[in-house]
This record gives sequence, structure tokens and C-alpha cells, in this order.
Amino acid sequence: MSPFRSLNKMSLARREALAGYAFVVPWIIGFLIFTIGPMLASLYFSFTKYNIIDPPQWVGLANYERAFSGIWDAVRTGDSRQFGDPLFWKALQVTIYYASIALPLNLGFSFFLAVLLNQNVRGINIWRTIFFLPSIIAGVAVTLLWVRILNPRVGVLNPFLKDVIGIQNPPGWLAAPEWAVPALVIMSLWGVGSSMIIYLAGLQGVPTDLYDAAKVDGANAWQRFWNITFPMMTPVLFYNLVLGMIATFQYFTQVYVATSSSIAGLGSPQHSTLFYNIYLYQNAFRYFDMGYASTLAWILFIIVLLLTALIFRSSDAWVYYEGQLRGRNL
Amino acid sequence: MKKVLDFLRWIVVSAKGHEFLFKGITTLILASGSVLILIPFLYMISTSLKDPAQIRSDSSSLIPRKPKTAEVNGNPEPLYEVTVDRQVQEYALIKNLPNGLGQFVDPEKPDVIQELRINDQKQLYRWDIHWENYPEAINAMPFWRYLGNTLIVTFVGMAGMLFSCSLVAYGFSRFRARWLNLLFLLLLSTIMLPSQVRLIPVYILFQKLGWVDTLLPLIVPLFFANAYDVFLLRQFFMTIPLELDDAAKIDGANPLQILLYIILPQARPALVSVGIFHFLYAWNDFYEPLIFLHSRQNWTLAVGLQTFDAIYTINTHLIMAISMLMIIPPILLFFFSQKIFTQGVVFSGIKG
Amino acid sequence: MKTKLLKLFALFAMASMLLAACSGIAATQAPAEKAKVVIFVGFGTGTDPDQVAAQEALAKKFNDSHEDIEMEFLIVPNEEATERFLAMVSGDNAPQLVGPHGTSTIARFKEYWEDITPYIQKDNYDLSDFYGPATTINKYPDLDAGLPLGLYPSFLFYNKDAFDAAGLAYPTHDYTDTSWNIDALKEMAMQLTLDASDNTANDAGFDASSIKQWGYADTWTDMRGQLTMFGAADQGRPTTDDYKTATFNAPERVFGFRWLHDGVWRDHFIPDANGQAAIDSTGADPFGSGQVAIWYSHTWFMSEGLNELPFAFDIAPLFYNQDGERIARIHADLFTMSKNAKNKDAAWEVMKWLVAPEQIVDVCKIYGCLPARKSTEEAYLNFLKERYPTIDHDVIFQAIDYLDNPHHEGWVPEWGKVNDTLNNVLSILYSDSEADVQAVMDQGNEDVQKILDEYWANQ
Repeated sequence: MSPFRSLNKMSLARREALAGYAFVVPWIIGFLIFTIGPMLASLYFSFTKYNIIDPPQWVGLANYERAFSGIWDAVRTGDSRQFGDPLFWKALQVTIYYASIALPLNLGFSFFLAVLLNQNVRGINIWRTIFFLPSIIAGVAVTLLWVRILNPRVGVLNPFLKDVIGIQNPPGWLAAPEWAVPALVIMSLWGVGSSMIIYLAGLQGVPTDLYDAAKVDGANAWQRFWNITFPMMTPVLFYNLVLGMIATFQYFTQVYVATSSSIAGLGSPQHSTLFYNIYLYQNAFRYFDMGYASTLAWILFIIVLLLTALIFRSSDAWVYYEGQLRGRNL
Repeated sequence: MKKVLDFLRWIVVSAKGHEFLFKGITTLILASGSVLILIPFLYMISTSLKDPAQIRSDSSSLIPRKPKTAEVNGNPEPLYEVTVDRQVQEYALIKNLPNGLGQFVDPEKPDVIQELRINDQKQLYRWDIHWENYPEAINAMPFWRYLGNTLIVTFVGMAGMLFSCSLVAYGFSRFRARWLNLLFLLLLSTIMLPSQVRLIPVYILFQKLGWVDTLLPLIVPLFFANAYDVFLLRQFFMTIPLELDDAAKIDGANPLQILLYIILPQARPALVSVGIFHFLYAWNDFYEPLIFLHSRQNWTLAVGLQTFDAIYTINTHLIMAISMLMIIPPILLFFFSQKIFTQGVVFSGIKG
Repeated sequence: MKTKLLKLFALFAMASMLLAACSGIAATQAPAEKAKVVIFVGFGTGTDPDQVAAQEALAKKFNDSHEDIEMEFLIVPNEEATERFLAMVSGDNAPQLVGPHGTSTIARFKEYWEDITPYIQKDNYDLSDFYGPATTINKYPDLDAGLPLGLYPSFLFYNKDAFDAAGLAYPTHDYTDTSWNIDALKEMAMQLTLDASDNTANDAGFDASSIKQWGYADTWTDMRGQLTMFGAADQGRPTTDDYKTATFNAPERVFGFRWLHDGVWRDHFIPDANGQAAIDSTGADPFGSGQVAIWYSHTWFMSEGLNELPFAFDIAPLFYNQDGERIARIHADLFTMSKNAKNKDAAWEVMKWLVAPEQIVDVCKIYGCLPARKSTEEAYLNFLKERYPTIDHDVIFQAIDYLDNPHHEGWVPEWGKVNDTLNNVLSILYSDSEADVQAVMDQGNEDVQKILDEYWANQ
């Protein structure tokens, strides 16, 4: 092999790399102007005592110590009151509990809907529009409407559970500490429209001739789904998983609207809806402890970053890219 | 009977029958799901047509209505359907009494008082639809001005987003380079930090740039790509077979041409999706505009809507009216974009 | 395809030009010669569309009569007011005045306000016309938060139709009638509590799951406010007067909590969390919904809560508590000055103008408060008579004499944390029928003590 060829090859790889960097330049510029500054500022705040009106005072790791103090005593005694900041752990626990129910349900449910809405049935455009509606009107008004629907006294859900399904003691939903999170999960399922649309877009990308070929080979509908549709959908599933995870860990708006109007306040009843970002918000904007709030934010950042990296690592095993470049990890 | 049997046999045996059954079940599931979705939606419509009095006292009713009344001794009193002497008549309730009893009279003969259990009588209502809530809600704010601001923010931002995100997603999906993976993770990490702790530094940044109280903070950053849309486009770009690029390269196409002629047409559903998502985001976002825009004339519709939520007043009907108006453009956009959306991919990598 | 590319770039170019134009407009705004005074509205009342218009008219009146100062109202929805305010403060853009707002936000943001004592001294400003409490409620040893604007005394609103239907006499309007006490209220309220089949809370067949009318509610008030009326030594303050020891589980408060808990779960005349949420989610208030016969609230409730009600109503004094005292909460609103704002002297001028005898009645009409100046009592009474012709106005003015002191919204260390801790206890009251009141209060006290200890350890 002549040295020229390998040089030529290198410069080709280099040219490819340069072109790749060139295309991501718009983001890098934006990142440098708009994003990195505020991010680093909040990282700095996390090592300070900062009440917003007075300049931040450096306190080193004190905020991090506060979050994690008492952890050994608490683990040893099994008493959550031993934690230096029990609410931090409570908030983490509520968030993980919600994420572990809501995320799989949302992913599965929206996928199922997308497959249904990809069928060639009459009026499909109208069905799709109807199922997309909740994503359009999601907001304060809808959350308040759900608060009403779930209300055991006047809501329409519990009479349905009692009279149609036959459940004698339907739950108290948002007013009952053990049912508040499931109630929020139900609310989240109503709004699966956006992930459904992404799946639907993914389904459009499955080449029809693959199905035709499979039909010729005698594959039945289930085999076609499992061997063609599902693998082709894994990049989209991957997207919904990663972004769903990031969003679920920062779940905020619905629970803010649903609980801030009650006099018992954010995270009620009895801290059962004290989500991580609710607690963070309280520290930042109710207790004016922006330093500790920033610490909480960066702890969450690390958790979510690690989980994301983990999902990316696993993706080689289950995500199928038709246009995969060899020699890539992500 | 025989016809039914034939029909069943047709469904079980023939391929057409299978398809019929499958479509039937699909439609059934879709229809029942639609009911669940539309019930809250109907409540919103009906609330937007009620008056505050009904929202106060009769908010569970899906129908915008008012109690029927009749004039008795100069006071309007609610009417009930009452059975007196085996005859159904319309009587007015003039006084509530303990133990659920009430004094009823025939409005024509107000002197003859009947004491009856109120719960056993049927209260009469009449339709009472308040279309004027819509003009009232529109007039309560500079609606057209806010609409203009909203449209500028939404569409200019969308153009910037589509332009920049296509380029960046292309860079992240089609090129091998040492740091690209790390950069991509960095891009994703920008949405992992809760926005609450960034709010104040971001405000200070825009204040320093002199952009506070202009629409710029809501538009300019979109020209520099964002994690949500880049990631989605990247996922779609990566499903497009590399053979297509290679063929184009052999024909002498440069990377930009490949993006324009090969990748973007193939990823049309994805582009439409991110377009729709961005539209919805920009259309409904009130938080950022509320923080960055000071003057009322610079507000967007979503901010205007948010300001209806006064603490001590019932504005529910006006909030719902504006909400209803605000969902029309997104619905139309979605409905009509489906045509582009579902054209789908015309050819695959297997061919050729 | 080429044309598409061109179009795309054309769009991009257009957008950029538009942006350039926008920023151009922003840059060419002439620097104002007048000292600008921005009044930040949103922590309390003032965000309703009618009020927005009235405030703009007020600003016009001021600006037309002043050459050197320009006044502007910045109205932010209540939900986002904190973030917006903090962003402005940190962005070196603090609003000059904030308000009208009450003791709770003044205490919560205590470090953010300018002490106006030097301004009062400089001008030798005469405070004698203000009601005594109005000048003291928002005054701390190190901070006088602002000139008094208005008071919001509290009393009972009652639904006359509900009383008529139950065949009950209305509550007394006589402040000296000591038989109008907590037991009398309970007895009355239980007879006013009705289930779907019109049984009262006293009847054997009463169905608590289908209540359509509750006898009594005070559900728009947080924990500190709730327990004030039961008369612990610290009244509205959950700590001793040196703020070092928590007194949340004082016996009077335990009694009060138990009374309320029984009222919700045993006697059923107070709505539980679900009952409250059912009303709140409609956007209506409990009294106006017709589902609460006796409603305890403040004058601020009148301005919107008493419009076009489909039933007859009146107002009555708060009842005496278990120890024969009457403690009727009061709210006091004013405009505060931001500590790190520019143009503070101009802000002081505007603050004086807003509460001057010539304006104070008009300003208070916008916000529904009783003007804090004694000299305007008659003018305001006339306004009340015209606006609410059917109610007993004397009840309003006499209520001021029974105010809570220490105040139920006054400053304590870590105000927000203490309040959230106590309100979490309140959520037990409304959502847990089995709660052990003493244990719950002891726990709450311990939690507050921990917050206080941490606070003092860091001082």
C-alpha cells in the first residue's frame, strides 16, 4: 500500500470530520452565546449562599453537604427523619415513583395509538386530529378541568367507576396522599398526543415495499409488525424514551397548577406530590435560597445525564438505524 | 339468521373479512378513545358559553342554561314541574322551608300555597347561551395586536428553528468525527438542567443585550438550534439509508446538496412534526414572554390569556372562550399538514 | 429544488432583517427625561381586567399633573409575579414600587424593601390621620415597609336564603353579644349543612358523601390564619416573640385544630379537601357558589365576591372563641419601595400621592380596601352604602377593634418555609379523617423548631 493512499484516506476522514463540525456550528455559536453562561452561573450559585438581592457568598460544598447529610444514619436506622433534608429525598422519591409508572405507560400507550392511527380506516385525518387535540389545549385550563373530573364529589370519573365498573370505594385521587400520583399519571396519559405524532411520523418512514416483500414471503400481520415495523421504529422509541425521561424528571407545570390553588399549597396533600422541581422551585422562589436550588438542579442534572448516557450505551443493542455510520457509539 | 351466519363465516374465513373485522375493531377503539378525549373538550366549550352566575351555582351542567322563572308578587321565582291533582303543572318555588320542603304556587294564582318536597319536583331550565363571551374576551385585551405578536414570534422562530436544526441534525447524523458524540451529549445536556435556576442569569443576559421588552429573546435563540428538534431530526436522518448519500456522492453532490435533495425530502414527516411542535410551543408559551416582555403592547396571546386568571374574580368563561379561539389555528394547521405528513416515503434503500 | 433553497434563504434573510428592525426600534427609544416610577402589581389584588383599566386611568391622572415623574403600572399575573419580580431585581431593573400587597408578601420579601423611616423624618410626614393598626402591622424594628393604604377587616358573610330555608334566625350583628360564640356557630352551622336529600348534619340519615351545602367555611386562609382566632398567647405568630422557640402546639391551637378537624370529619359542617377543590376548580368562590352558608373572609372578598349573587346575604361579626375572646384577623395593604431601585426619591413622591387624602379613596375603590385614613371614613362609608346597599356597614368598621396581634402573616424567620411546613399540617386536617391531632401538631412544632434552629445557627 503506498503512503499516498493512506494520506489520501486520512484527509478524506478529516474532510468528513470538518464538514460535520461545520454543520453543527450554528448550535455551537448559540450554545456559547445563550446557554453556557446561564448554566455556568447556576453551577457557580450552587456553591454559594445566594438570596438573589445580595451578591452570592461562596460556601464551598455546604449546599451539597446539606442535601446528602444524614444519609448513613437514615439508611442504617431506616428512619427518613434522620436525613439532613428529608424533603429532598421525599421529592426524589416522588419523582422516581411517578417516572417509573408514567414513562412506560406513556411510551406504550402512545405507540399503540400511533399504530391504530396508521391504519387505513375511514376518516383517519379526523381521528388523528381528535387524538392530537389534548396536546393542543394542554395548559392551565385543562389541568383545572382535570382537577374537576377527578374530584370525588363532583367529578365524572368516580361515578363511572362506581356505577359502571362496580368499584365500591373509588379513590380520592388528588386529595388522597396515596392516589395523587396515580391521578397525575392519568392526566399525563390524556396528553400523549405529541409522542404519538412522533411515532406516527416514524411509521410514515417505514418503506412500503418492505411490507410487500414480507407479504410475498408469507409473513402474517404480527410477524410483519414485529420484524419490520418495530425495528424501524426503534430510533423514534429511543427518542421518546430519552426525552420522556428528561421531561418526567423535571415534571412541574401540571402539579403546580393542580396544587398551588389549594390553601395547603404546592406538593399537597401531605407532600405526596412534592416533585423534585416543585421542591426546587420552592427553594428558589419561595425561600429565596437560589444557592440550594441550584445545588438541587445540578444534582438532578447529574442523575439525568447518567441515565441518558446509560440509555445511549444500551441503544447499540436495541436501536436499529437504517443509515447507521460504522464506528459510532451513540 | 342465515345471513348472519354467512356474514360470520365471511369474517372468519376470507382475507377481506379479516380486514373488515380489524378495521371495525380499530374504529371502535378509536371511537371510544375519542369520547374520553372529547368529554373534557365539551366541558370547555360549554363553559365558554356560560355566564358567571351559572359557573357559580350550576357548573356541573354541560348545558349552558338558566333556571326558568316566573314573576310572583313582583319577584322572579324559579319554576318547577309539579304534580298536583294528578296533573303536571309549572309551579314557582317561592320559599324554602326546613327539611327539604318548599312553598310552591301557581304563578297565576299566587295565593294558593302548596308545601312539597323540593327534591321530588323537577326544576325547569331554559337554554342560555352567551355567545357574547367571545367578543367580550377579545375586547378585554388588544387581541389583534397580541395575535400579530404571536404570529411573528411563531413563524419567524419556526423558520429559524427549521433552518438551523436541519443543518445541525445533519451534522450530528451523517458525519464521523471524534468530538461529535460528545458534542451531541452536550447538546442534550442543555435541557437537563431545570429552567428555574437558569431564569435569572438568562434575564440578566438579555437585559445586558438590551433585549428585555422586545420580542428578540423569543425569536433569536431559535436560529441557533435546540436539543429537542435536533435530536428528533437526527433520529429520522439516521433511518435514511446511507446508500442514497453514496449514490449522490458518486454523482458529485456536496454535503449541502445531499442534505437538500436527499435527506430533507426523505425526512418530510419529521420536519412537519418538529414544525407542528414548535408552533404549539411558541403559540402556547406564556412563561418566557411574561418574564421578558414588560409593556402590555408587546405581549402575546398566551400571556394575555394568562392575565385573565385574576385571583378574586370569576373569569372562567372568558378564559375558556379565549382558549377555544386559540386552539383553532393549531387544529387547522395540524389537520392540513397531514397531507404532507402522510405522503410518506416514496422509495426505500432496498431498491436500486 | 434550487428554488426551494432560495426560498429558504430568502425567508432567513427576511427574518434577520425583521430582527434587525426590531432591535433598531429598541435601540432608538429616547432616554426618558422624567424619573420613571414603575409600580409592580401582582402579589395581591389588582390584576383583574377592570382593575387594570382603573390603574391605567390613575397613572394618567398622575402623569398629567406631574412634569418630573412618570408613573407606570406593571401588571403581572399572581402566579408568575415572584419570578418576574426577582428577575427584575437581579437584572438591576427593580420596580420602584411594589403593591398593593399585604403583610404576607411584605414579610416574605422582608429583605427586599427600603425602610421609609428616613423619608418620613425628612419630610416630617404626618401619620396621625391613619388608623393605629395600619401604621404598625407592617412595621418592624428595622423596617417600616410603607405608608398605609388600606385595611381589610374580617367578618362573617352569611346566606340569608339558606337561613330562611332552615328556619333559623340570622346571626347577631351586636359585637357585645357574647352568646355568639364558637359553640353557637357550630350548632347553627350543623343545621345549615345539607346532604342531597336535605338531611341536616344533625339527622341520623345524613350522608356526608353527598353534601350540597356546608354550614361554615374559612377555607381561603392558611394555617397561621386558621388558628389565630383560638387565642394562643402568640396569636398569629407560631413562635415566641424572640422568634427562637416554636409555639405551634400551644394548647389553644391544639383545641382549634381539633375543633376544625371535628368540624370537617365528625360534624361535617366544614368542607374537606375534596369539597373545597370541587368549588375551586369551577373558578368560583365558596360563598358565591351557594354551597357555604356562613363564610369567614375579609373586605377584599366584597369587591368581586358580592356581585350579582342569586341569593340574599348580609354580614355579621366573627364569633367569640372558647375563652370568650374575639380575634378577627385583619389584612393591611400598602405600596413598598424596592431597596435597590433607582429613582427612590421619585418613588417616595408617588407613594405619598397614592395615599394622600385626595386620592386614597379612589385608590382603595380599585382594590376593595378600607382607606387607612380616619378622615376618609365617611366618604368611604357613602361609597359602601351605594355599592352594597343591603348589608350592615357598621359590622365592617367595628371589626378593626378585634384585630390579631401578633399578626398571622407577620414576619418570622424563613417565612416561606415555616408557612409551607404549617400548611402541610393543614393539608392533614382537610384530607385525613383519622389524624391524631396532638401528634400531628407536635410533629409540626418540631419541624418549625428545626427551621428556627437552623436559621439562628446561621446568623
